[in-house]
This record gives sequence, C-alpha cells and structure tokens, in this order.
Amino acid sequence: MREKLRTITQLLRNAFGRSIGILLSILAAVMVGSIIMLIEGQNPLEIYWLLIKGALGSQRGLLISLQRATPLIFTAIASTLAFRTGVFNVGVEGQFFIGAICGAFVGYAVKLPMLIHLPLTLAAGFFGGALWAFFPTIMRQKLGVSEIITTIMTNYIATFLISYLTNYPLRHTPTTPETPPVQPTAQLAQFVELSEGTFGKGTQAHVGIFIALLVVIVMYIIFKRTRIGYEWRMVGLSFPFSEFGGINLDRTFIGGMLVSGGIAGLGGAVEILGVWREYKDLFAAGFGFRGNLAALLGGQNVIGSTIAALFYGGMEAGALGLEWSAGVPRQLIDIVVGLIIFFMAAEGMWAFVRRIKWVRGSRAVHRTTEDLEV
Amino acid sequence: MTTAVEMLGIRKVFPGVVANDNVNLSVEEGEIHALIGENGAGKSTLMNVLFGLHHPEAGVIKIRGKEVHIRKNADAIALGIGMVHQKFKLVPSFTVAENITLGSEPRHRGIFLDRKAVHDNVMEISRRFGLQISPDARIQDLPVGVQQRVEILKALYRQADILILDEPTAVLTPKETRDLFGVIRSLVANGKTVIFITHKLREVMEISDRVTAMRDGKVVGVTKTTETNPTQLARMMVGRDVLLRVTKTEAQPKDVVLQIRDLHVFDDRNLKAVQGVSFDVRAGEILGIAGVEGNGQRELVEAIVGLRPAWNGEIQVKAQNLTTLNIRQRREVGVSCVPEDRYVRGVALPASIEDNLIVNNYFKPPIAQGPLLKPDVIARHAQELIETFDVRTPSKDVPAYALSGGNLQKVVLARELSAQPDLFIAAQPTRGLDIGSIEFVHRRIVEARDRGAAVLLVSAELEEIMSLSDRIVVLYEGKIMGAIEGARATEEGLGLWMAGITSEGSPEAAGH
Ligand SMILES: Nc1ncnc2c1ncn2[C@@H]1O[C@H](COP(=O)(O)OP(=O)(O)O)[C@@H](O)[C@H]1O
Ligand SMILES: [Mg+2]
Repeated sequence: MREKLRTITQLLRNAFGRSIGILLSILAAVMVGSIIMLIEGQNPLEIYWLLIKGALGSQRGLLISLQRATPLIFTAIASTLAFRTGVFNVGVEGQFFIGAICGAFVGYAVKLPMLIHLPLTLAAGFFGGALWAFFPTIMRQKLGVSEIITTIMTNYIATFLISYLTNYPLRHTPTTPETPPVQPTAQLAQFVELSEGTFGKGTQAHVGIFIALLVVIVMYIIFKRTRIGYEWRMVGLSFPFSEFGGINLDRTFIGGMLVSGGIAGLGGAVEILGVWREYKDLFAAGFGFRGNLAALLGGQNVIGSTIAALFYGGMEAGALGLEWSAGVPRQLIDIVVGLIIFFMAAEGMWAFVRRIKWVRGSRAVHRTTEDLEV
Repeated sequence: MTTAVEMLGIRKVFPGVVANDNVNLSVEEGEIHALIGENGAGKSTLMNVLFGLHHPEAGVIKIRGKEVHIRKNADAIALGIGMVHQKFKLVPSFTVAENITLGSEPRHRGIFLDRKAVHDNVMEISRRFGLQISPDARIQDLPVGVQQRVEILKALYRQADILILDEPTAVLTPKETRDLFGVIRSLVANGKTVIFITHKLREVMEISDRVTAMRDGKVVGVTKTTETNPTQLARMMVGRDVLLRVTKTEAQPKDVVLQIRDLHVFDDRNLKAVQGVSFDVRAGEILGIAGVEGNGQRELVEAIVGLRPAWNGEIQVKAQNLTTLNIRQRREVGVSCVPEDRYVRGVALPASIEDNLIVNNYFKPPIAQGPLLKPDVIARHAQELIETFDVRTPSKDVPAYALSGGNLQKVVLARELSAQPDLFIAAQPTRGLDIGSIEFVHRRIVEARDRGAAVLLVSAELEEIMSLSDRIVVLYEGKIMGAIEGARATEEGLGLWMAGITSEGSPEAAGH
C-alpha cells in the first residue's frame, strides 16, 4: 500500500513537474517579451492579442498557420523519431533541403502521368533525405563519431551542394539561382487552386498538410503497434537492456535514422511541390532546426511534436498578420516568438538531457538507480 | 553499563510516507547494536535523524543520558557521533588523507595545510584500530572495501565514539566482510559503540550484541542476540514466516544441456578473464558458480548469453554450438538469463512494466502477428505475469523505475522464466534484495530446475550457493579451482578455493 502510494505520487510529480515547467517557460517568455515591447513603446497586451487573432482569428489566418506548420510537422516528426531512438538528429535541416532538391529535380525533369509522377517525386524526396541521414549514421555506428558533429557537417555540405546545383547544373534562369518549375503533374494542389478561388484566398495552404497528418498517424501507429516501433522505443530508452533482450542495436538504430531522414526529406519535397514549385537557392533556412525545437517542446512524442509544430506555425502566421495589420516591426515579433521557443525549448532540452542520462552508458544509469534505491 | 544513545518517540514524515513512527531505540555503551529491517523500513531515516541530517517531527534524543538537541550535522559530530553512509561520500580524485581530513584540516601557520601532521595523524588512527591504509592513495584507485575503511577512519578522525554503519556489508566480498568485522570488534574493544544496519541475518547473529528490528517505520522487536535465532528475526522483519533455507528435493539430473569446453574470454580491459574453463550443466540440476566477484563470473555469463565473444573454446546448448549465434538466436535455442546488472540490462527503467516483459518475445506469435504487435495479447501477458510472479505494482503501465528492487527482479524473473528456458542462468539474483524477495527468487530458481531446466547460478553469496546448488564449482582468477557436490560442500572448503588455495591439488576434477 505504502509502495503504491509512493509510485502514484511519484508519477503525479513527474507529470505535474513537466506541465509546470512548460507553463513557467511560456510565462517567462511572455514577461521578457512584454518588457521589450514596453521599451519599444508598444502595448504588450494588444500585441499578444493581435498575435493570437492573426493566427486563429480568421479563415485566412488559420490557413496560413497550417501552411506554415506543414513543413514543421515533417521535421518535428523526423526529429522525434530520432530522439526516441536515442539520437539527436541535428541533420534534419540538411535532410529537408536534400529532399527538397530531389523533389524539385524529379518534379521538373521527368514527364509522367500525375498518378505516377507525384508519388515518384515524393519518394525521391524521401530517399534523398534518407540518403543524407545515412552517412552520419554509418559514421556513428562504425566509427563512433558523435551524430551531433557529423550531422552539423552534413548540413553544411547540403547547403553548399545545393548552392552549386542551383547555380550551375540545374540553373534555369540567368538572373537567379533556381531550378526550372516542377511539372503540373508533380504539384500538390493549393486549396485556392482546388476551389477556384473561393476558399483559401491569399494563402498558399496546400494538400500537403494531409500528407503531413498521414505521416503523423502512421508514425503514431508504428510506435504503438509494431515490432519496429517497439524496437525504436526500447533502444531509445536503454541500449544495454535492448541489447541483452536480443534487439539488434545496429539495425534498429540505422533504420530509425534513415526513416527520420526520409521523413525530413519528404517534408522538403512537399514544401517544394505545394508552395514553391521550384527550388530557389536558400529558399528558407531553419525548417530543420525549428523541427528539432518543436520535437523538444513536444516532449519527444509524436502527438506532442505535432501540436508544437502547429503552435509554431500559428505563431509565425500571427506574426505575419501583425506586421500587415498593426505595422509592428516583424523583428519584434521574431524576438517574442524566439523567446517563447527559447524558454520552452530550454525546458524540453532539459527533459531530453535527463532522459538521455538514463539511456547512455551504464554509469549514468547506476547513479540514477542508486538514488532510487532507498 | 550506561546508555550511549537513546531515541524516544521519534517520528519522521516524508511526503506520502511515515518513515519513522514513534520509534524508540536504545543502544548501550560499548555494544554492537544491530538495526535490522527490510528495504524501506526506515533504518537509514532513523540514523539520519540521529546524525542531524533529518529533523524529526517529534521525539527526544539522549546521548549518554543527557537530552540533546541535534539541529544540524555539526551538532551530532560534536557529540561524538560518526556515520558511514550506504553510499560513500568520498571525493574520488582526492587522496585518502585529504578525504579523511576534508573540512577539518590541521593548519600550519594559518592557511597552509600541514601535510605531515595529516599523514601522521591518519597513520596513528589507522594503527590503533587495525585499519590498514595508505594515506597517499587516491580514492578512485581503491577497492570498495578500502574506501569503506576510509569512511570509518574519517569518522574516527573526528573523534566519533558512537559509530553508525549503514548497510556496510552490502557492497563487500565475503573476505572484506570478515575484515570489517575484525575492525568492528577492535573498535568496540577500544571503547567505541557501534550501530550496525543490515538485513543479512547471518551477520546479525555473528557480530551483534543486541538487535532492534524495524518494519514499516515502526520498531517491532528488541532482543539480545543470544536469545534469538534467524528464523525469529526474519519473522519480525517480514511480518510472516519466512523460509530461510530453500526446501528442495534431490536433483534428478538428465541430459547435458550446457556444455562448456576450454573456454577463454577477455574482459573490457583486454585481459583474459576466463581461462580455459570446462563444465557441464544437466537438465534438472542447479550448478552453482561460487567465487569472489571479479574472478571471471561476469565474463563467463556474458560469453554464454552472447554479450561478449568467446575467444576460444566451445559453448554448446542442447548439442548446438552457440558461439556463432547472436543474442536473439541463443535465446531462441532456449537460453534465458537474469543478468547481474538488474537496473542496466535487466530492465529499461523508463519503460513500462508491460514493455519490459516482452523484450524476448515481441517479435513472434502470439505477441506479434507479422510486423504488428497485438496490444490485447500483450496486456494479458503482462497481467498474467504480474499475478503469477506477485509483482507489487499499481498497474502494468507504470515505468520500471517506480518499482522497488525486489519487484523489479520479479519482473526480470517473470520475463526470463516465462520463456520456458532449457538453460536458465541466474547471475547474482538476490543482490541487494530483502529477505522476502530473496525467498521468492530462490523458490523460483528451484522450480525452474524441477521443471527440467538446467540452472546455472552465479553468486558471490556463499550461503546462497550452498543452499541452492546441487553441484558447486569455484572460480578463481578465471579458472576452476574445484568442484564438489552441493551436499558435501563446506563453507571453509569453498572459502579456501575462493581464496585460490587448493588443498588436494586436483582442480581439474571440475564438472563431473
Ligand atoms: N529523502 C526522502 N524523501 C522522501 N522519502 C524518503 C526519503 N528518505 C527515505 N524516504 C522514504 O522513507 C522510507 C524509509 O526509508 P529508509 O529509511 O531509507 O529505509 P531503510 O534504510 O530501512 O531501507 C521509505 O519508504 C523511503 O521511500
Ligand atoms: Mg537504508
């Protein structure tokens, strides 16, 4: 009985502690943001209200939120998958871009009926991203090089490689470094196109959001209901335990990384096919990093990360709206958004560090269990 | 005789637990007083109150007959109380002398540490109490037994004459335990008073003058050691009758299941840890591997299970060569194991009980169907094992870290035994467990044997080896020192082998 009570209180304390942490970080960010706004001579209450209204207050705002969230859902799920197998995949950024350029290339260079062309293009994105995750993974498994270092390196390589490709071999116009436009057969329709202008005017929201949500659902089921999902979860929770239980660590880990990279790459392709329809060099950086943050924010689980990505998208949409309607400088909004993310991510990061301590090396585990053994 | 320590009506509450509930403890001057109780009974809490680390909600403490108010640790130290904690509190990178004097260094002309004075002082104390030590060695280089000696010296250096030892033997080898008992006796001979916390009854019987038993935060009995016996003490601690010695029938050994020939295995430092070991284990018998820890047991088990390559030699289970198989394949041949690192390999602490229970069968029917898991089967599987193995848990969904050591071990046992193994390896299966859980684990091991499994029991506890094993093999420095039938083994004989001494000089008689 006493034991039961103890475990229950302990569980409550954990859950409670985490939500309190997130709440506190939001509060801290809002406060610091307010101070900055006051210094700038703005009314914080009004700005926060406009921010929320911009993101959620209209159909247009909502659609922009969704469109902004779409790529982030992919990168957040990709990061979450990696986190869950015990890896910090900073390479999501590069994998996203490689997926995007692969999608752009197959999108414009191939001529096929839509039914084949579109899936093929999306597959190109997926495999591009997976390939980009392959090198750091192998380096880690075979040579023991930290994935954090190698994925940062592969991010740089991805940027330079794409700069080269869009400036030289794949260049379409002499004026700007960009690829030719993708064929209509490989495009993901925007809502405004589908409804012939009656729905979603002034937004670029596109059906890619459904692919994103499909990925979320599939990943959720994989984690909960499949053998490979169990392997990913267990390897992520404890290497030594999984090894002893007979799980093939190498295979599980490499598989997890490849799928993570693939999802990031798929996200890149979807973004190209739905919004940009051609690859502009440096079209928008930071999707991967923001996905990393969203995964941390979301507590490294599928649903949480998706919510965090949607939240993130909403904040960006709100910021855009603010700039248009209230003439508040965009930078101010960026600061506030950054602060919220910073404080919340710090919280999420802390949770991750705590978790990784359980996972890595028996030493850390020993210490924690000693403390448990009273 | 006067009373050294008297604690009256002590009450200490932690959120959700009453750790000490109206506890009375009385310790005579110059005695060795054993404080016993299962894990969580409140022993450490009571001693932390005495040592000024916890503040009781109620209660009175008297030292040498005078009521005292211990508000902080320094008060307790000033009253001549010293404590060696369950987890040592030494600085690994400091030397022995530095650790001993930390916080009360003798100074030489103001601010400079007087190293010579420190050295001499430490040597003097260590001579007086027979605590051999080299003051300039670094803690990180010392074995646990010696580190503990440093902790004791540290207390003595601060002029403690009431010394609390919190489960000092939990981390020691049999030899180190014997040395510690020698030290304790010399302390008492020098007029010190010792409070000795343990839940090992043999130790209580051997060393203590009087015993106080605790259960669930309350004192449930105080007695002179000469007027009690282990069975009675166990009943006090657990609150019901406990079988201290497993009852088991004569073994009915059948075919050879595990056959090991000339096995050589390297350890993590690339030294040869197992050197040419050969033995057999038959279906329906328990082979006990005795030996002081660190004599190749870990490497031997890891080589059989597949966590570590065998450098040379044969490992066969049911006439099938294991050395080329991976861990999963070996498990499929019929190998199961309760690993010695319960918290590291035995369970994934943050994973649910349910998930912990399927790591050896999640990939095959009935748990899985193709690539899919079957949640209802998994839930039923978990529920069944929790019931049959009496795992005390609020639900199958709580993380493993929420369970006590004993219940965690039941989870490991449940998983490994539910595979119906042909070869069942139990490595240090009861280390750190309390009596109730030990009894349970022992019963399950014997049951596995009676079901027809070949059981390989590896343990540093001689008592456990002797009470369970049908045959015993002693490992010393990676070699088999001797083998003997369980019924004919004596503690002295095994002890000699464990120390590397062969009497008849035929260590090769191993295995048969
Ligand atoms: N610092 C603490 N905070 C909360 N609970 C504690 C603390 N220390 C001990 N407890 C609880 O008090 C009870 C008694 O613990 P303890 O005195 O360590 O037992 P023992 O030393 O007999 O194994 C246990 O239920 C334990 O969980
Ligand atoms: Mg204790």
